[in-house]
Amino acid sequence: MKNIFGYVGRAFITFLQDLSSIWHLFRETIVQAAVIFTDRKKLRQARLLAQVDEIGTLSLPLVLTVAALLGIALTVLISFELKEVGGLSYIPGFVAVAVFREMGPLITALIVAGRIGAAFTARIGTMKVSEEILALETMAINPVRFLVVQRFVGLLLSLPALTLLAGFTAVFGGFVYGSTRLGIRPDTYIRETLDVLTFTDVYSGIIKASVFSVVIVMIGCYRGLVVEGGAEQVGRSTMSSVVSSTLAIIVLDTLMTAAFYG
Amino acid sequence: MIRAKGLYKQFGRHAVLNGADFVAERKKITYIFGTSGGGKSTLLKILIGALKPDSGEVWYDTMNITQLSGRDLDPFRRKIGMLFQHGALLNSLTVGENIALPIREHTPLDENIIKIMIKMKLELVGLRDFEDLLPGQLSGGMKKRVALARAIALDPEVVFFDEPTSGLDPIVASVITKLIADLNRLLGLTCVVVAHAVDEAMRIADKIVILYMGRVLAEGSPAEIRASADPLVQQFITGSPDGPISFHASSKDFREDLLVDR
Repeated sequence: MKNIFGYVGRAFITFLQDLSSIWHLFRETIVQAAVIFTDRKKLRQARLLAQVDEIGTLSLPLVLTVAALLGIALTVLISFELKEVGGLSYIPGFVAVAVFREMGPLITALIVAGRIGAAFTARIGTMKVSEEILALETMAINPVRFLVVQRFVGLLLSLPALTLLAGFTAVFGGFVYGSTRLGIRPDTYIRETLDVLTFTDVYSGIIKASVFSVVIVMIGCYRGLVVEGGAEQVGRSTMSSVVSSTLAIIVLDTLMTAAFYG
Repeated sequence: MIRAKGLYKQFGRHAVLNGADFVAERKKITYIFGTSGGGKSTLLKILIGALKPDSGEVWYDTMNITQLSGRDLDPFRRKIGMLFQHGALLNSLTVGENIALPIREHTPLDENIIKIMIKMKLELVGLRDFEDLLPGQLSGGMKKRVALARAIALDPEVVFFDEPTSGLDPIVASVITKLIADLNRLLGLTCVVVAHAVDEAMRIADKIVILYMGRVLAEGSPAEIRASADPLVQQFITGSPDGPISFHASSKDFREDLLVDR
């Protein structure tokens, strides 16, 4: 029993320490981002667009495929019950709201956390192990400015855009299924969608995506920067990065949904 | 001039440095020797300000490095260069970009001038044709030479070398040793070298410092070290397996260790 309390207590203290370190990293990232954006030469060197390309463009096929399938699956699922009560006309609105408010931001963030967050940790962790980060410090180059800021800005631009595109794709998936298999007329489908969907639904999703992008970058980079030792620690840190950002995304998603619509 | 005073550093229960004192003179080559795990790398990290000693001080002219941290260390770091044991080149940048990194960071120089500087530094280490390759495409010896070119990119006052010739073939090792001597002679660099290779040190060092059990065992010119009557010093420079220094690192009695569970 004593052991359980000890374990939980230690885990809680580690959690608070991590949280405090991530907060410090976040503040330093903001300070260093300001340094980059006020210096044209440094801005050019940071190659922000290359990051957007790497994070956003390369994630696009995966995110859009998943979103389209999600839209179809959601439509199939709810049509099952609604068909019985003759409520098929509710499907377009339901799918659009569910996708823009909840499923789109959540699924996109989870895919990006697995694909990009893990890559950040592995890349930065390997650099730490091979003394590249120490070399940067020895050259009086701030590692946060060199490694974190560009990823931060890149993801902050990419994830909301990906989320928006995922939303439209999922709605399109639902539209295709609804109009071909459920017999909903295409013009009715589009009208029903536009009637129900509000601007708030779309921008609440974008706010969620922005918060998730901060979470993914901060946890991904922090877990990489604290790696000590060798390959095994890089692997362990990468795993813990994906687990903690997944958990953080789901918890924050629930809180934000409750705050926006509760 | 670099002066270390009473450096003490403990990891867990093991004291790695136990009151080390020494002086590295300006424009001279100082070699630091020691057994493996004898605190050489720890000492080097403390000298460049990457690690804080538990007690003791490091003075660079009138700057107390041990009291500085974070950005306060930058003025000192701009005056030093460091050659890491495995080079620590940034793997995502080409050879040329690696060398340009500190120049772009700390000088307002035009790109055309930076390009000329890269060629000059690469010529110095004999690798002018390799500017566009990635570090992963180079051999270990080449990586070290590129890392040396990067370390001297901003014409530092002091260059620290962490085992510059370990793991290299004898020819490349001699090339690097000659480079260190040339840098010191032609550019007036202060060189602090942590190494195992006694012969190269005897050839080019102005001063040799021998670390043993976390303390300075002997300090002096190669001739003085060679003439030392201390059997420990003699064992170091002859590399004899028999002598007062045991290769056993364990503190417990072997017989006791074997019989402990009986």
